[in-house]
Amino acid sequence: MPRLPTLSYDRGTLLLHPPPRGSKAWVEFVEWDDRVEKFRLPAGGYRALVSALRAESVTFDDQARAYGRLPLRFANPLTPYPHQTEALAAWQSAGRRGVVVLPTGAGKTFLAQLALAAAARTTLVVVPTLDLLQQWYGELRAAFPGAAVGLLGGGSREFEAPILVSTYASAAAEAERLGNRFGLLVFDEVHHLPTDFARVIAEYSIAPYRLGLTATLARDDGRERMLAALVGPTVFSKTPAELAGLALSPFDEIRLRVPLTPGERARYRELVARRDEFLERHRIRLGSLDGWRRFVRASGRSAAGRAAMLAHRAARVLAFGTEGKLAVLEELLARHAGRRTLIFTDDTAAVYRIAAEFLLPAITHETPVKERHETLALFRSGAYPVLVSSRVLNEGVDVPEASVAIVLSGTGAQREYVQRLGRILRRQEGKRAILYEVIAGETSEEGVAARRRRSEGRELRPSVGEESTSSLFDD
Amino acid sequence: MLPSDLLILRSRHGSIVPQRLALDADTLALAGDLIATFARAVGQRRSVLDETLVALEGEDTAFKVKRGLAHLLAGDDFSTFETVAPLDPPALRRLVFELSATGVPSRGRRDGLLQSAADALALTQPNGKLSTPAEIADGLFADLPRNAVLTAFTPPTPTALIHRYNLAQAQGVFYRAFDLVITAHRNTPGHYKQLFRYVKLFGLLSGIEGDAEHGFTLRLDGPASLFAPSTRYGLALAKLLPALLQVPKWTLRASLKPPRRERDFASARVREDAALEEENAAPTFELSAGCGLVSHYAPPREFDSILEEAFAARWAQLDSPWQLEREVDLVPIPGSAIIPDFRLAHPDGRSVLLEIVGFWRPEYLRKKFASIRRAGRADILLAVSARLNLEAAGVDASDFGARIVWFKGKLDPQAVLAAAEAITRR
Repeated sequence: MPRLPTLSYDRGTLLLHPPPRGSKAWVEFVEWDDRVEKFRLPAGGYRALVSALRAESVTFDDQARAYGRLPLRFANPLTPYPHQTEALAAWQSAGRRGVVVLPTGAGKTFLAQLALAAAARTTLVVVPTLDLLQQWYGELRAAFPGAAVGLLGGGSREFEAPILVSTYASAAAEAERLGNRFGLLVFDEVHHLPTDFARVIAEYSIAPYRLGLTATLARDDGRERMLAALVGPTVFSKTPAELAGLALSPFDEIRLRVPLTPGERARYRELVARRDEFLERHRIRLGSLDGWRRFVRASGRSAAGRAAMLAHRAARVLAFGTEGKLAVLEELLARHAGRRTLIFTDDTAAVYRIAAEFLLPAITHETPVKERHETLALFRSGAYPVLVSSRVLNEGVDVPEASVAIVLSGTGAQREYVQRLGRILRRQEGKRAILYEVIAGETSEEGVAARRRRSEGRELRPSVGEESTSSLFDD
Repeated sequence: MLPSDLLILRSRHGSIVPQRLALDADTLALAGDLIATFARAVGQRRSVLDETLVALEGEDTAFKVKRGLAHLLAGDDFSTFETVAPLDPPALRRLVFELSATGVPSRGRRDGLLQSAADALALTQPNGKLSTPAEIADGLFADLPRNAVLTAFTPPTPTALIHRYNLAQAQGVFYRAFDLVITAHRNTPGHYKQLFRYVKLFGLLSGIEGDAEHGFTLRLDGPASLFAPSTRYGLALAKLLPALLQVPKWTLRASLKPPRRERDFASARVREDAALEEENAAPTFELSAGCGLVSHYAPPREFDSILEEAFAARWAQLDSPWQLEREVDLVPIPGSAIIPDFRLAHPDGRSVLLEIVGFWRPEYLRKKFASIRRAGRADILLAVSARLNLEAAGVDASDFGARIVWFKGKLDPQAVLAAAEAITRR
């Protein structure tokens, strides 16, 4: 009696050996691998091959599949919006494969939970940032009580978990190891998938069910076309206009300008002059991406360029970390004592400086995911009234509600960042939510803030002390 | 090894040339300075060491070299960094931040809060060990990489550090490699075993062509390379290089993924198509034995066992036209290769391979005999210890017939010679 054909998983690929007899259904899926003298196929071909073998009633031993059914108790009390129900139905009828395009805030995470409950298979969720890692982790644990949710990335490596949340970086690094363990792959912000580094997460996986989520499919290299092969076709798409009606609560924005000390000012001027002298000599204009690129390149080539770059960095540090800002922070914390307050800075070093001097809990990209989760829980419960963080608000991250936000620095690219910040603010005890933006006086930051306002089409009023511009967020 | 941003690679006529530091007085002095900086930093936090290193970099455009050397020194082979704190830092933070949450945050409360934390900690640690407020403050974020303390440093010599650096620059080329072709030229001993140990360890697959007389061509890549070229195995190939350096005579050629170019449509339009094509072709990297790179992997042992060593010594005293060569042949089997311990070559062109099977666990024995059977070669002699219970291991000795030479204690060269004559008789 001939040996039973066996399908086995080999580091991101499948081996079919010995080849089935009396059927040719498998031939189109495999390639002969001379190195091991066996037939091999990409792991992604699992579903198609198995369907073809079953269609011809070929008996074979499936050693490849290490994923299984996962009975889940779905405890999310929310009722799906019509667009979520429609998206789920579209995905289901496309064979549980495909991409759903929904604007930020339209409840993509909830849609993924619905998909998980429907598929009921061991699941790998892949997200681009550590912030999203912790967010998904928290929400999946709440939505599926009793299910073991694990983390891969941010210091955790829980490979055995039947629901595993991972960053793209970690999942790509471990693609060979993860490839046969999950029946469903969920890609959050799926436009991160089609890169040479990350695509192996999909390619090395045998998962028959795949869901991609994004607010925008567009990449500037046109690689989004690869998604059809990696995840499936776009099965559902809605624009923000089609889903209008997401209300935002109004809040006050107050900008505070903090002067540099005379010593800081002199040092700042000196550094900026040193940088500008070099830039002028080389006819480099900062402010455009190209100018910045030329500056970086020049700084690697000559001692003068390197000195100019070091001066530029020192000036930035000076502007972002002035003593005056900390004094203002202290005053604001006293003024709003008892209100739930979030402090944001641009750079991690400033977060740790504030955390160490004020003895306040901090969250940065260096915080282990589990501790981040705990810290946020303590903030939400009120046990920690104040929290310091670097830019936690990247793509679609849920930040806990607060009634006061203090942003300690800003750059030109941050308009959207501040807008998102605004969305987290909530009224508390009848008071309006407040967002403070604290910038250093007489530095490049001031120009950035001004440019930002102008580009928003708003009038720049002279700013002395405090300036209030309410209802900024009418988009 | 070095991260990509510290690699200094130049392109010359479509091939890549990694940076190579000369062992001159200036470079040795630079390496010595860095080693001394690390030695002085023992007991200090990493951030303090980093600041010293930045100061040492200065405004020099050669900062990449200094940074690369420092990166290697900070690696596990030389440096040990540890978290030093009175309590596990996450628990310490919880303690301090909960105390802090009882009032309005201000810098004026800091000293008092740290003292309260120290008091609270003293209560939980009945062994009487007291922490000062300063230790609490230092320990609060002691688990951040930059706050880790350099607790031990094993200094390399400046020469060893530069060798390591040059090797790391060459290894860095492989990060973009999607396949590697090694040509191993005829030589003895071959020292192939070490190489194949690493090939297996790093999960690489090989295609092997050639023979012992003319040398072998090995193509190394990974399982998914079958469907499309992949740089996924570049890191494994890079780690293989130090093992390859221990093989005596070889050349290698790696195909590399071209670096991603900034799009420059305006200038591209005026260029000749041919020039564009050449620019987009995969660059290559070539290297050979005698390249001057120095491996830091432990050198392969001269012989795998005393048995082999004693046999080679006894053979040397034998007066026979058969020459004994060590580890010169690669016998491909699916997914790997067998590297017999010895090859016997007669001046008339006959040759026989010899594998000594001494003391092995049953499972290993079964695998060994199975792979030799799969190789399908009639010219492999097996010298098997009579103490081994082949039956218990599920091996049928009659499969190998006259190709087995039994021995007790020591292996007699005469018996091997007789068997070699017997299976090559024409």
